[in-house]
Parts: sequence; structure tokens; C-alpha cells
Amino acid sequence: MAPLVQVENLEKRFEAVRALDHVSFEVEAGEWIAIMGPSGSGKTTLINILGGLDHPTSGRVVVDGMEIGQLGERELTRYRSDKIGFVFQQFHLVPYLTALENVMLAQYFHSITDEKEAAEALRRVGLEDRLEHLPAHLSGGEQQRVAIARALINHPKLILADEPTGNLDEDNEATILNLLRELHSAGHTILVVTHSQSIGNLADRRIELEHGRLARISLPVR
Amino acid sequence: MFWRIFRQLLRASRGRLTVALIALSSGAAISSALLNINLDAEQKLTHEFRTLGANVVVAPPSAGSDAALADAAIMEQIAGLGASQIVAAAPYLYVSANAGTQPVILAGTWFDQVAKMNSWWKVDGAWVSARDDRSHCLVGQAAARQFGLAPGNRIDLRAGERNVSLTVSGIITTGGAEDSQIVTSLDVAQNLASLPGRVSLVQLSISGTSSEIEAFVSHLAGTLPGLDARPVRQLAAAEGSILARIRGLIFWTITLILVLTTLGVLASMAALAMERSRDVGLMKALGGSVQRIMRLFLAEAAALGVVGGTIGFAIGVVLARWIGGRVFGVAISPRLAVFPVTIVLAVGVALTGALPLRLLGRVRPAEILRGE
Repeated sequence: MAPLVQVENLEKRFEAVRALDHVSFEVEAGEWIAIMGPSGSGKTTLINILGGLDHPTSGRVVVDGMEIGQLGERELTRYRSDKIGFVFQQFHLVPYLTALENVMLAQYFHSITDEKEAAEALRRVGLEDRLEHLPAHLSGGEQQRVAIARALINHPKLILADEPTGNLDEDNEATILNLLRELHSAGHTILVVTHSQSIGNLADRRIELEHGRLARISLPVR
Repeated sequence: MFWRIFRQLLRASRGRLTVALIALSSGAAISSALLNINLDAEQKLTHEFRTLGANVVVAPPSAGSDAALADAAIMEQIAGLGASQIVAAAPYLYVSANAGTQPVILAGTWFDQVAKMNSWWKVDGAWVSARDDRSHCLVGQAAARQFGLAPGNRIDLRAGERNVSLTVSGIITTGGAEDSQIVTSLDVAQNLASLPGRVSLVQLSISGTSSEIEAFVSHLAGTLPGLDARPVRQLAAAEGSILARIRGLIFWTITLILVLTTLGVLASMAALAMERSRDVGLMKALGGSVQRIMRLFLAEAAALGVVGGTIGFAIGVVLARWIGGRVFGVAISPRLAVFPVTIVLAVGVALTGALPLRLLGRVRPAEILRGE
């Protein structure tokens, strides 16, 4: 069976700066991959390209059989809503929509909204009593859980999480990591960008970047 | 979900949207008032113009010669047209007479119709109110000076073998030929000239636009074969020119107001666009198409236009009544046709002013989510 993600000789330049320099790797369906490396090593650029938010300068990126570099704007939009679930460090919830509406927003852009399903997704992340709360009235951990519920609502092929616990205290970090563990156990494919060695060690494999290059692919230390 | 997001968008941005709504309502109010005035101004002004004298003259082809025409027939024929456009119709018979040894032109007419048609004439003394008053006359100010006449004096007039003695009711100042004439009733002039039932010409005051007056004149010419019916060109042209200028002034004022309103809305929307760029980046990252996101913003702008246009129309009606009262002395009647026009203009301005929101479609989600 073909890998879910194939990255071949991926290069991304921002004018003179080479953010990614001929990076190649593959991810099998159901894997949990940690993308690690120092600041400016190209982790976020990589995840943005995998998520269809940015275009590669050269190389091939194939996700679930779709070559991302060949997709036009409309197809990329469809790709993001169908195949990708994003979890950001800054949560990125729409501030004037309730927790429930933030989850329904992803449904709306994907196909049709289903309020019951959105409420169920929030219940799964332990927010059944926060459905009508605005993001400003939720803690950081709760906001991130809403973001996870939103990322999962359209049953994406790939969950891309960029420093998902970067803005959380220890308790909330543990909650989010438990959720990621559950998702992994349920068979979801997860790519997590992280600086944290402990989070890296929870993954099946670690892809380490340095100066835009693939430094090594390693197994976690447990 | 569309309306749910739409409602939340309105609630979240109510501050900036209120500013845009105030700009839109103000622009729509002035535009609506001016449109109402524009539609009513023509009617009001043509009504005002009708106090400025005759604008149509009916005369025999050889007017001025002895070939006068039968008055009863022509006045009855004109009255028989039943045209509501006729504000006043005055027959005239001009007679060369003598006051003492000095010659003077006598203008015999219907006093009531002359008063209606020439309300701007300045009269020192009193008008003669009865159409067929056989004992009074009005004297032009030049003639009064020539014969040393004042209101209440008597004047003896002679034409051929016939004489008549009249009391001067008032001295008139018209700025025209009447200043050197003596105005009597038509009967007096006809008797003095031994021309019973004859008139030299008929002056008509006709309401309406230039084209309506032209149409009336054509109809009149058809009704009165053998006579010349012609509009007083200078007056018709001046009226047409004034109306065209007022229409032009209103058009350009509305255009200017709408441009200024658009700028006001643009300023509010530009600030709103800055606030929403992150949300749009996020929506695009979540798979929201540009069309779907823009539909939300355009619906918001259109709703703003409809609400602003409705409020503006209501204020505009009040404003038009007030301006009408101040300028024309009568309230401008609101026209329902102005309502859809105001709404269309306000929605157009709101959609144009929403340009910064439309430009948000170009937002690159990766840059926005990185915080650039």
C-alpha cells in the first residue's frame, strides 16, 4: 500500500532564503510523526506545505494520492477541507463564534453543518458544558480542545499540529497529549511540530530538521 | 450556518458597522431628499413660472393689421379645449386713441385673466377686479407720467367719433409695452374702436414642460385653423434652461454626496478588513473558498445598504418636506418611486465601500497564521 504522505526533494525558497532544502521522507497511514528542530529550521514551512497553505518551490509532495504542487487554488481549498485537520499553537478560533459554531464552521466549509455531530465532537474532548461559550470565555486548554474537535469534525486523512501545547500549562498540555494519544490509537495519522523532547518521544518516529535540511529520522527514546 | 455566522459577524463588528451605517444613512437621506425635490421641482417651478406672464400667443397671421378676429368664437373654442394646462387666457384688442390731443395705445382685455397671468405687475392703487368693468382702467407708469395721472383721476379717451371717460384705478409698472398703454376692459376698447366682438390676439399662460407646451400649441393650432398659435420662445427656453440647470445641479450634488458616502464607508470597511484579515486567513486554512467567505461580507454590506437606504429614505422625506417649505413655500410630496432608487444607490455605495473586505480574498493564510 502506498504511503499516505510522500515528500521527495522538497525545496521552498523565500526569495534568497532556502527554508526547505531537498527534504524527502514518507509517512504511513496511522503513524504519529514528530517534526523537530530548532527555530528557523523549516518545521512550520513543511507543515504549511503539507497542509496546502503554501506552495513548494520544487520537489514533490503527495498526500493520499494528490500531488499538492499541481493543485490550483480551488483544488487546494477543497484539499484542505477534505483531507487536513489543523491544530495551531495560537488555537486560531474565530473570536465571535461560540465553541460549537467554531466546530460547525469547519463543517460549513466542508459540506453541510450538523449541530449534533459538532456537539458530540466537543463532548469527546470534554467540553459538553462549554458549547455556547465564546473563545474569550474559555481557558487556553479548552480553546485548544475546541481546535482539536474542529480539526477532527470532517474526518481528515491527516492531522497537522503546530506546537499544539506551546501556549499551555502542564495540566492542559497533559490533556492535549492524552487526546492526541487517543486519536493515534483510533488510527489517525498525526504530524506534530514540537520543540519538546517529551512530546517527540510520544511519536512513532521523529523527523529532525536543521537549516531546512533533513538532519535525521529517528525513533523516539522511551 | 450562513445566517448564524452572518448574525455573529454583525454583532461582533457593530461598532464599525454603525459608523458605516451612519455614513450610508446620511448619504441616502440627502440623495433621497434631492431625488424627491427633483421629481417635484419641475411641477413646482412650472407652477411658479406661470405667474411670469403669457407663454403662448394666438394671433391672426397678419397680427397688427386691421384684420382682427372674432373674440367670442376664439375664446369659446379655447375654453372648449377643457385643458387643465390653461392657467389663464386673456384676449387683447389694441386701439389707437387720443387722450386730449395726445395719442395713446389702449389695450382692451379681461382684467381677471390679466391679473392671474401677471401677478408680478406692480400696481400703485388698485387692480380692476371685474372682467368687464366699464368705468375703470389701469394706466402704465410712462403714460401716467405723460398725462399727469394718479389713482382716482379721470381720463377722457377718444377714437374717431366715440368717447369714453374712465377712472384710473391703478398705475402699473410692468417693464414692458404696457407701461406706455392704458388697459381697459375689452368691451370699452371694442366700443371705442367700433369693433364689437373683435380681438387682436389672445395671450395664454400654459403650465407644463417645454415639450408639453409644444404639444399643446400643436393641438391649439389644429383647433384654430387660420390662426397662428406660437409659444413665447424666450420664456419657454429660459424655463427649460432653469429646469435643466436645477436637474444638473441635483444630479451632480447626488453624485458628490454618494462619492463622499462611499469614502466614509470605505474608511470604516478598511478598518474592519484589518480586524478580519486573521479570521479570513483562518477560514481559508479551514477550507473556506474565497467565494463562500466573500458572500458573507457582501451580504453584510448589502444588508447595511438596505438598512441605511431605508433609514435614509425616511429621513430624506422629512428633509424634502422641510426644504420644499423653505424654497417653494409648500411641502414636497414624497414619491414612492424614490424608495427603490435610494435602496439601490445605498446598496451600490455599500458594496463599493466594501472593497477592502473584497480584497481580503487575496489573503494568504500561511502568512496571516504566522502573524505577518
